[in-house]
Amino acid sequence: MNSEAVASTNELIPEILRHPPVLDGVVTPDGLDDQVLSTVERKPPRAWFIAFTCTGIAMLTGLGLMGYTAAMGIGVWGNNIPVAWAFDITNFVFWIGIGHAGTLISAILLLFRARWRNSISRFAEAMTIFAVMVAGLFPLLHVGRPWLGFWLLPYPNQRGIWPNFRSPLIWDVFAVSTYFSVSLLFWYLGLVPDLASLRDRTRSSVRKFIYSVLSVGWRGSAFHWIHFERAYLIIAGIATGLVLSVHSVVSFDFAVSLVPGWHMTIFPPYFVTGAIFAGFAMVVMAMVVVRTTMNLNHIITMYHLEVMNKIILTCSCLMGYAYLLEGWTAWYSMNKFVHHAFWAYIAGTYAWAGWLTIACNVLVPQLFWVRRFRRSYPVMLLVAFGVTVGMWFERFVIIVSSLHQDYMPSAWHLYKPTYVDIGILLGSFGLFFTLVLLFARVLPVIATSETKAALPGAQPRHAGGSYE
Amino acid sequence: MSNTAFSVLGLFDSSQQLMEAIPSVKAKVSARLNAYTPYPVHGIGKALGLRKSPVGGMVFVMGLIGALSAMAFELWTAGIDYPLVTAGKPYLSWQSFVPIMFEVTVLFACFTSGLGMLFLLNRLPFFRHPMLRSKSMPFVTRDKFALAVEAEGQALDVDAAAAALRAAGAQMIEVVEQPAPLAPVSPNFLMRVFSVIGISCLVAGCLTYWGVKLFPVTIPMVHMLDQPRLDPQQENSYFGDGFGMRMPVAGTVARIPLPYAVKSQNDASALGNPLPRTESVLKQGRQAYDTVCAVCHGLLANGEPSLTSAYGAKPANLVAEKIRNYSDGMIHFVIMNGKNAMPSYASDLTQDERWAVVHYLRALQRALNAKDTDIPKESRK
Repeated sequence: MNSEAVASTNELIPEILRHPPVLDGVVTPDGLDDQVLSTVERKPPRAWFIAFTCTGIAMLTGLGLMGYTAAMGIGVWGNNIPVAWAFDITNFVFWIGIGHAGTLISAILLLFRARWRNSISRFAEAMTIFAVMVAGLFPLLHVGRPWLGFWLLPYPNQRGIWPNFRSPLIWDVFAVSTYFSVSLLFWYLGLVPDLASLRDRTRSSVRKFIYSVLSVGWRGSAFHWIHFERAYLIIAGIATGLVLSVHSVVSFDFAVSLVPGWHMTIFPPYFVTGAIFAGFAMVVMAMVVVRTTMNLNHIITMYHLEVMNKIILTCSCLMGYAYLLEGWTAWYSMNKFVHHAFWAYIAGTYAWAGWLTIACNVLVPQLFWVRRFRRSYPVMLLVAFGVTVGMWFERFVIIVSSLHQDYMPSAWHLYKPTYVDIGILLGSFGLFFTLVLLFARVLPVIATSETKAALPGAQPRHAGGSYE
Repeated sequence: MSNTAFSVLGLFDSSQQLMEAIPSVKAKVSARLNAYTPYPVHGIGKALGLRKSPVGGMVFVMGLIGALSAMAFELWTAGIDYPLVTAGKPYLSWQSFVPIMFEVTVLFACFTSGLGMLFLLNRLPFFRHPMLRSKSMPFVTRDKFALAVEAEGQALDVDAAAAALRAAGAQMIEVVEQPAPLAPVSPNFLMRVFSVIGISCLVAGCLTYWGVKLFPVTIPMVHMLDQPRLDPQQENSYFGDGFGMRMPVAGTVARIPLPYAVKSQNDASALGNPLPRTESVLKQGRQAYDTVCAVCHGLLANGEPSLTSAYGAKPANLVAEKIRNYSDGMIHFVIMNGKNAMPSYASDLTQDERWAVVHYLRALQRALNAKDTDIPKESRK
């Protein structure tokens, strides 16, 4: 590639500000294909089968208990008035949040031309899709009669009535379904050139047929790429607005109500930050596993993990600020119900969950101020696991602690999950990781055509200068 | 000259070589040039003289359509087709319709961009494209760059094109042949295709019919009808007499007036209205009428309700002559027992309220059939 041009631009930039290399060592396009695409052609290793069995058992447990809930009604959960929202909505908000890192990586970082996103975007987008699929189950179960879920959609019916479009719950239906379909589309578009690569390298005729159909006859023509790049960039631009809107709309479910502890203007940005925070923690955990088990150390490098850990640290500080502001808002409201809700967070029955949230989300990630910790597997797995736990409990605290003592002391009620609640939570993780494991075996985990385009020497020199 | 060649391909090792080859090949051949690359190469559209992608304009138009149609739909459903007051907001409270408008805009824009690009602009799926059968394709989707001189339906000078590509430094030259035209479809084959489609439609139709009819009411989807409770008059073995219901304790006194022992509307005509026709009674009757009766019979009792036409049944016009000729007792009987599609309102109104409604209805009937003599003398002109 244009080594003189790179050298000359680099000389103008002080060393500390120079971009470190995104990939380790020499990566060639054909080497990348052989490594990434061949995983789908090989038989999976034994570790994969062990992991798949574990997640599969968890998934089946969860699905069984979901079926039990559908058959018996949600009385088998611990929910009872006034705690009508508990594990179900906690899980919904948690899983929708997990998805946000994927869209952030694929959309916002594409707009910012952060080239390190190439190595992790495909996996993170897949996690988005699976997380939203898991999340979508919970509101359906929560309504009690999931087979009537289509009532949420505006369709002409014999009763002549329509959904209440002024309700945040209906906004949610639109936000989440749009988010899912746009994420799926974006992911599929990125996959098309890679599926064409798979089609052209496979020897099995069955695979060839499947990949041919899925890649819709993609042939990498120059005029295809011109439309493709334009369309991809536009979707990224629009999805940026979408990713900020989805968790904002989820937060409206709370903020638009009058429950003390929910009715706050800080909720939309607070929820979006928390979503990105939890999502990145999940991506870091998954990436550590992927790079070690699939031998992709040079493509998903320590640099990628460090950058993501920096994002986690930033989000952690923002979360700390949001928690402080929640206390401040309670004090400033001069409203004794809001004061009470805040005291319940820090000194009530569920205060242990509140303090666990603060410890996991604000205190533990501060380890990442140290460079050595940002680059250490045990520390980053600890922090990422802590953040996942912390973010789940944050939503639990927001929902259960706010609801269990509202305006009417005669209605106060403590919430205790049943085995069905816990089993479904476990099952949601099982379902998510089962889908992730299947994805890692049948589709390329790295966006190869995008990564090839950003390799050193991939682009021609021309008058406008270099893309390096 | 060859009439069967679709294109002549030259393979290059790097995007740099490809870009350098384009002008030199362009100078030598007149046919259209195209490139096939494993990833988007910057500046190639300009070098090949391809037009800019119109996808941005398409997205703008469809996004706008999405935004306007979503807002219009929400305003129409919530404010016009079935106006409902929610949380004291006005019918056309457009502010609360913005989130869904935004989501629908995003949905329209993204799907226009993605599917429009793939299916409309790139004309995919295209499984019979000659390029897909070429030997070079596996190289192109891997790491090689192909420059193609394409025939575009014209005769192609294969040798000249190959020479130009070789001179430009192509490592490998391939002539891609036009695929043989498809054989005409036999009637037998068409017959089979149509019968398969027909049978599939029939099966799908039957399955949908039975699915829609039975699925929502199959166990466990019984809509809370299956509950561990005793229904009125249900048999139960717990008590010795076999009845589920119990008799009241001896000496129980009813707290409300006993129901009238009338069997038919004609019997009821003998009942007189026990309430006096005072202002407070009329007010009570109006309150009850507006709450319970007006939704079907209309605020003026003229059978023109606020109810949407989707309800189907036609509520009676209570100021018509037939009802005006009913006695008070007959009207009371209908309130108690219902008539045609109208259910009983005995449990919604107390006895006093029912008689007050009768008085108020008389006032409405008179008001809508007023004679000149009803107007006080001093007000007449």
